[in-house]
Amino acid sequence: MKMTDIMPPGLALKKVDERIMTLNVGPQHPGSGHMRIVVQIDGDYIVACDPDPGYVHRGEEKMAEYRNYITNVPHLERPVIHDSCNVLYPYVLGAEEILGIEVPERAKYVRVICSELNRCIYTMYWLAIYGIFLGHSTMFMWPAGDRELLIDLMEKVSGARVTHAHFIPGGVRNDLPANFEDVCLRQVNYFEKRIKEYAAVFYDNPILISRTQDTGVLSRENAIRYGTTGSVLRASGVDYDLRVKAPYDVYDELDVHTNVMKEGDSYARSKVPWLDMMESCNIIRQALQKMPKSGSVRTKLKPNPKTKGPATVYKRVESGRGSLGCYIVSDGKTEPYRVKMSVPSFRNLLAMPNLLIGEKLGNMPSVYWSLNYWPVEADR
Amino acid sequence: MGTATGIIRALNSGIKHIAIKRFTLRYPEEKLKFVGDGYQFDPSTGVGIAGLKGRHMLFHDHCTGCQLCSIACEGVAEAIAMVKVPEEQKQNKKSIMPQIDYGKCVFCGLCVDACPFYALYMTNDYELSSFTKEGLIYTPAQLAVKPYLTQDSEIQITDRGATHG
Repeated sequence: MKMTDIMPPGLALKKVDERIMTLNVGPQHPGSGHMRIVVQIDGDYIVACDPDPGYVHRGEEKMAEYRNYITNVPHLERPVIHDSCNVLYPYVLGAEEILGIEVPERAKYVRVICSELNRCIYTMYWLAIYGIFLGHSTMFMWPAGDRELLIDLMEKVSGARVTHAHFIPGGVRNDLPANFEDVCLRQVNYFEKRIKEYAAVFYDNPILISRTQDTGVLSRENAIRYGTTGSVLRASGVDYDLRVKAPYDVYDELDVHTNVMKEGDSYARSKVPWLDMMESCNIIRQALQKMPKSGSVRTKLKPNPKTKGPATVYKRVESGRGSLGCYIVSDGKTEPYRVKMSVPSFRNLLAMPNLLIGEKLGNMPSVYWSLNYWPVEADR
Repeated sequence: MGTATGIIRALNSGIKHIAIKRFTLRYPEEKLKFVGDGYQFDPSTGVGIAGLKGRHMLFHDHCTGCQLCSIACEGVAEAIAMVKVPEEQKQNKKSIMPQIDYGKCVFCGLCVDACPFYALYMTNDYELSSFTKEGLIYTPAQLAVKPYLTQDSEIQITDRGATHG
């Protein structure tokens, strides 16, 4: 089934003319990621677009049915390895609820810090690719380099650069290393100073503005209708952030500010994640201040934890791309009966076919990547 | 702001970086310093100790051959196999010890969490490349060797930018 077949009525796309040419962008094209975009062009203008995800499907949800609640942790973070704390977060919250595990207070703060650091790591990677998509190679080098500051912090905490496997039902795997607060504060402050410099070179750059402003405009109504989440929804003027609307862990004790832009074009969608990174720096500073200075970070579990009888749970968190949900069904065994991930990437992709119609082919990368889409997460 | 001013500001912002120190880590000559001696786990409290998740280190005098590390790895990477150790190295009753295939290992450290006898830890050694697949399989004798490491570079933040010093 084509994705265009399941579009809301009145928005279905149809063939316009016989002189239309069909182009396959991807799945191994640097401008598409691991997915194929079938575009039909009339001259230089796109008249139809059919995204074809599924190239990197690896059955994470099925794999989760054969592993217990602890050994599910390393493979469930694989869909988005550079946002691995956030992609694991809803699963861990859900598993804790159905297994009936209490989490120590300090562990919750450590999780918030790791989650925010990971959000910045993800967004920097995304921004680097966005820069190189638009031919701005400075914007590839700078975020890729400055991301190292935060990767270094996560490496100190979890012991791995990208695939942390740090969150676990019952808390986090290990406590923060000694003297971490000072190092974290110093590097996060410098990081914030650095990302503010991106304004002059990228966001206020007239070349970027002329390429991204008024391209791929997603109105407020359509953004809600397609079910987009995260930065895409906030760039269209909807103030929706799960950290504020449905706080999990200790987000209700922290002062979280959401960044909303009204334009809904590629420029707004590329700017909102950048503003979110500065907000993440604020949250990290708050969490470091409010965190209990000592205490346990992990509840001791039995080797093969299982639920008391059948249970279901749905938990969602705000990841780097938007709201990410996890639905766990248990039938009382040591393995979950079903794990379903509701991923933001796929939701944001649903908006793409209608954004691209009428755009020039050269604008396709800027619209496509501004949707904050990660192919591997959509395929799972 | 006009187009010309915007472009000049963008160029100026880049030119400033001529005076800023280089952030790049010159890898084989310089190596990053990590906290601690690698990821460890304390079974009495059930909490790990922060450190890099690198190559494992096996303490032969503590290992009882209980296979818990191998069972923990089953759902993750299936990298750990229990093998017979020669009679002269024999430390436990069953005379079996873990052998780790680093072609499969994902360095999650769940095997370290599973060990109740303080026998399996991780070290700061991450340079494990080999010309053959067999070279990636570390026997219990190889795992017992403490790695020789020269890692001393850390991120330093000054007024002229961050650098690996």
